[in-house]
Amino acid sequence: MLKIRGLSKYFARGTVNEVQALRRVDLDIGTGEFVCVIGSNGAGKSTLLASISGAAPPDEGRIVLDGTDITAWPEYRRARHIGRVFQDPLSGTCASMTIEENMALALRRGKRRTLRAGVTRFERGRFRETLQRLDLGLEKRLGDPAGFLSGGQRQSLTLLMATLVRPTLLLLDEHTAALDPRTAGLVMKLTCDIVEENRLTTVMITHNMQQALAYGQRLIMMHRGEIILDFSAEEKSRLTVQDLIHHFHAANPAVPGAISDRLVLG
Amino acid sequence: MSLYAFSGAIELGLVYGLMALGVYITFRVLDFPDLTVDGSLTLGAAVTAVCITKGLNPFLALVPAMAAGFLAGTVTGFLTTKLRILHLLSSILTMTALYSVNIRVMGGRPNIALLGRPTVFDPIRALDVSPYLVSNILFLALVAAVVAALVWLIRTEYGQALLATGANPKMITSLGVNTHFTVITGVGISNALVALSGGLIAQNQGTADVGMGVGTIVAGLASIVVGETIFNSRRITTIVISVVLGSVIYRLAIAAALSFRVAGHSFEASDLKLLTTVLVVASLVLPRVRKSLRARSGAAARNGRP
Repeated sequence: MLKIRGLSKYFARGTVNEVQALRRVDLDIGTGEFVCVIGSNGAGKSTLLASISGAAPPDEGRIVLDGTDITAWPEYRRARHIGRVFQDPLSGTCASMTIEENMALALRRGKRRTLRAGVTRFERGRFRETLQRLDLGLEKRLGDPAGFLSGGQRQSLTLLMATLVRPTLLLLDEHTAALDPRTAGLVMKLTCDIVEENRLTTVMITHNMQQALAYGQRLIMMHRGEIILDFSAEEKSRLTVQDLIHHFHAANPAVPGAISDRLVLG
Repeated sequence: MSLYAFSGAIELGLVYGLMALGVYITFRVLDFPDLTVDGSLTLGAAVTAVCITKGLNPFLALVPAMAAGFLAGTVTGFLTTKLRILHLLSSILTMTALYSVNIRVMGGRPNIALLGRPTVFDPIRALDVSPYLVSNILFLALVAAVVAALVWLIRTEYGQALLATGANPKMITSLGVNTHFTVITGVGISNALVALSGGLIAQNQGTADVGMGVGTIVAGLASIVVGETIFNSRRITTIVISVVLGSVIYRLAIAAALSFRVAGHSFEASDLKLLTTVLVVASLVLPRVRKSLRARSGAAARNGRP
């Protein structure tokens, strides 16, 4: 499904500030797999996701999605196959455009933008149905600008938009990190429902170890641009947060302070 | 204000309204402050004038003018997207280059006179209407057509992608839109409208002049902010119409300022650019001042209560 080979990414390459954000990362993700990625700040989680989505093209290595080498594809072209939800709730929607306009943009993900109507009556009905499942009353507010919604509402809407056209791969970049715990729980539950329903191949970054243990079938820990731990569903079910911290220290004896409070407490 | 001055102001408001609609596409839809318009207005006028002197039908002469404007816009779009030059600077570069291009287009001369040549106003003049109304009738019809076309365009899939490109490029890229394409074509369409405006202005005043585009962007911005301030709306039809009405009101205000006379002092036509700049600065700053005043008075009210 997703095959990554020898992926490296540098920032400020050739200067004194050079940082290697990814160090020859290899990763295989099977169809329908839900993978959680954890790691401290600067571990390379977001860079990995940005390399896959095309937002930050890698310097070395190959990315193969569903048998197609997409390494050289620009970000907008990859979007045909990849659905994304960002950490910042403001990033996933256009505040000045209405809910239905935002959804119509998402419904055309990866398609040519023609001179046909931007939103049709038929689509409006479909959006209303889709929004009903959120149980937030948004189906009655199709004409409201997305900017009127709360962070949680906008993130839920972004999630629906990312999956309105079934993506080959769903990328979630700490998409609940900016929300309060209760809202984060609701958005996480919605995520699980949508992923299971559509059997979506999903990569989710999280800072929260509990969340990483509770969701998904596979857990990857990154540190300094490398994948240092990779637990299968079976191994993962036996893990506790304490185990994770232990594993983390075992892999990095030299960096006792590498685990931040945020990583543990989320 | 005389009837002549009044009808003249409406006339200018309408024809420059087409330019303001172009500026609206870049400034508000794409969030792209585009100074190319200072050059592309003149370009439209120059191309139209040359085509007419070469014997082309004055209506048809507007087509190559719009094409030239579109091309100028795509150059700015290319500079900013593919060559990654800051958008404002890209447009300044194109505008500067257009000064030379415009003189080339006019065969090395700084202006071309169109007196005695056929114009788009001839068919209406033949209808034997009041001379005050001739230009207004044509401009009104054209503005109505362009407003309708623009509203339609913004409601298409492409237009929605344009709006999203200005509002949230990260999001629209993640939804599969090539923002380089939307920026380049969007700035192109904007400058095509500005060039159309320039072509009509040249025919209306009977001359194309290399200096006629100076300050176009500021007049366009003034029209947009005046329209927004008066007709505060979120409906796209109302917004687009308010840009044209903003342009008309702006020209009327100028005509009023010119007829204003206090103790022997009055404004000269050459003072207008200064006045317009003050107007634009005021309308850009006023909403913020109003907001902070409201916040302060709100805080005072709260503090006043025990």
